[in-house]
Amino acid sequence: MKCKRGLVVALAMAAFFGMANLALAADVIKIAVPSPFTGPAAGYGDNVKAGVAMKVDEINAKGGVNGQKIEAVFFDEQCDPKEAATVGTKIAGDKALVGIVGHLCSGAHLAALPNYLRAGVAAMSPTATNVTISDKNKDAKGQVWSFRNVYRDDFQGAFLADYMAKTLGLKKVAVFYENSDYGIGLKDAFLKQAKAVGLTVVGEEAYMKGANDFTPQLTKIKGQAPDALFISGYYNEGALVADQAKKLGLAVPKFGADGLDNADYIKLAGPAADNTYLTAPFLAEKAGPEAKAFIDAFKAKYNRDVDWMSANAYDAAGMIIEAISKVGADRAKVREYLASMNSKEKGYKGITGLTFFNDKGDCEKPAFVKMVKDGKFVPAEKQMAN
Amino acid sequence: MFEQQLFNGLTLGLIYALIAVGYTMVYGVIELINFAHGEVYMLGAFLCITFISALGIPLFPAIALAMACCALIGVSIDRIAYRPLRKAPRLAALITAIGVSIFLQNIAMIIWGSRPVPFPRDAVPRAFSETAFTLGSVSVSGLQVFIYAATIAMMIGLTLIINKTRVGTAMRALAQNQVSAALMGINVNRIIAFTFALGSSLGAVAGILVGMYYNTLSATMGYNAGVKAFAAAVLGGIGSVPGAMLGGVVLGIAETLGAGYVSSQYRDGIGYAVMIAVILLRPSGLLGKSVGQKA
Repeated sequence: MKCKRGLVVALAMAAFFGMANLALAADVIKIAVPSPFTGPAAGYGDNVKAGVAMKVDEINAKGGVNGQKIEAVFFDEQCDPKEAATVGTKIAGDKALVGIVGHLCSGAHLAALPNYLRAGVAAMSPTATNVTISDKNKDAKGQVWSFRNVYRDDFQGAFLADYMAKTLGLKKVAVFYENSDYGIGLKDAFLKQAKAVGLTVVGEEAYMKGANDFTPQLTKIKGQAPDALFISGYYNEGALVADQAKKLGLAVPKFGADGLDNADYIKLAGPAADNTYLTAPFLAEKAGPEAKAFIDAFKAKYNRDVDWMSANAYDAAGMIIEAISKVGADRAKVREYLASMNSKEKGYKGITGLTFFNDKGDCEKPAFVKMVKDGKFVPAEKQMAN
Repeated sequence: MFEQQLFNGLTLGLIYALIAVGYTMVYGVIELINFAHGEVYMLGAFLCITFISALGIPLFPAIALAMACCALIGVSIDRIAYRPLRKAPRLAALITAIGVSIFLQNIAMIIWGSRPVPFPRDAVPRAFSETAFTLGSVSVSGLQVFIYAATIAMMIGLTLIINKTRVGTAMRALAQNQVSAALMGINVNRIIAFTFALGSSLGAVAGILVGMYYNTLSATMGYNAGVKAFAAAVLGGIGSVPGAMLGGVVLGIAETLGAGYVSSQYRDGIGYAVMIAVILLRPSGLLGKSVGQKA
């Protein structure tokens, strides 16, 4: 008897909370944010989460979109393509999720993409720079479902090779690259342009994500006496490369792309971080007044300096939310709206500059060069003419 | 260059050895692959930097304190997760070990965050970052010398404990036959707890040394190190303490030379290939004894 009463109470409670959920669902518009929040890449996911959360809070503080609050639903895919495929299925199947800010890693984005194409939901990656995404984001009708608020690897790889050879006049470079979609894509673009501008590549060393000992490769490279190290990977490993190079007496400038660009790079590499040059889609010093306000608010809220991932995620969320506010919470219409942002006039003015997309969903963003000097990021003295 | 690679490999190998010893001792005594050992290693490093930066304790007392804490953690893991399953099939204990490992990793992520954390530079003596001596083309840093000295001292200490003390004798007796050992009046649970404490405190030291050497800690660092140390233990002959030491050093040097001369892409592969080759030729590992199944 007792047992039965418990069951009735449980059922009643379930019904009550179920209804409460339904009632809530009508008041909020949900967007999905799939990124790594645990696992080795969780630090990056944290950056994206912070950026999206700031945009969502800001919109909600102003009363939301058309009287409805925005809710960001975070999905953890650990930057792992297998997990991302699972998470992608989940997101695609949940019709309440109107748009997607993500994925963070190129590999994860590529793995989840087919689900979004099939289900018809638009994804805006703030960070995935891999080249192949441009050709894998169309459905059978030729409609683009994946957009990105960041430049491509071939652009920044070639940009760095040009910068090294033309602006700084370096001759010999050794390359470290992470064995992943990101690291290889970036390295290949770099090597192609390096050849074109006459840079000699004296060593190509691959490593796995999470590797922490680079002394064997560095010892080997040291014998070749390169002028520079190009690190095609992320900051955790990049900081170790810089630190161990310094310990082995290989004091040369380091170069990296967006993956290296994080305040933690300096924290981890310490004095060895000095003389590292990075491409950045977002340079706080060159940013406009709105961006300055964002930078200050970010610092106040998270007690750390803003990084480009958070800035890009902030704008990526901004674009999805703008689309919802213009066309309503409808997956297909949101995509149409994003696709229609195809010229300077129709672009989105965010803190990372004006964003608009070509017919492959890629945006054209200028690249800046910043460097580490005395333990701080500063704009590099010599910028390339864009 | 070869000599430099050799020294690099030795540094890495000694650290592997220090973790592998903890694995192999636990295996020797209760035949359990303690997958949570890598996490104890990670916790040791994080506790040490927390003592340094939050409590302002100098480096060496902080290391000692972290060792003590990890000893306690090791004993607690055994008490909570393994002891209730002592009589259960071995698979159950193995699954629990993996569970404990995931649990500890996530706890660490909650406490210290998911971002990598630098080792506090100011706490490390200046002599560590300078070159201690140069041999031809080889330069060895003060920290590397410290790593060699600390690991070798620790292993000598461990060998003495195992071979010359009463508790060491009891550990060896347990490894041979638990039931008979208990009949001889050995307090089995207490000796197992001691084994965990000893192995875990060595693991903590390894974690701290790695933190100092690479200057980076992350909540997920235990997994990779654990797998490598496990490979080192198997390579040397699982259950054998001198084997684990030798296995660690061999693995470290093989990996470093492999990355230096063959291809950095295959560094892990080369390490494991050496392990597989040894096991094919000597199924019980380098120093393992091929004893029959225990009764």
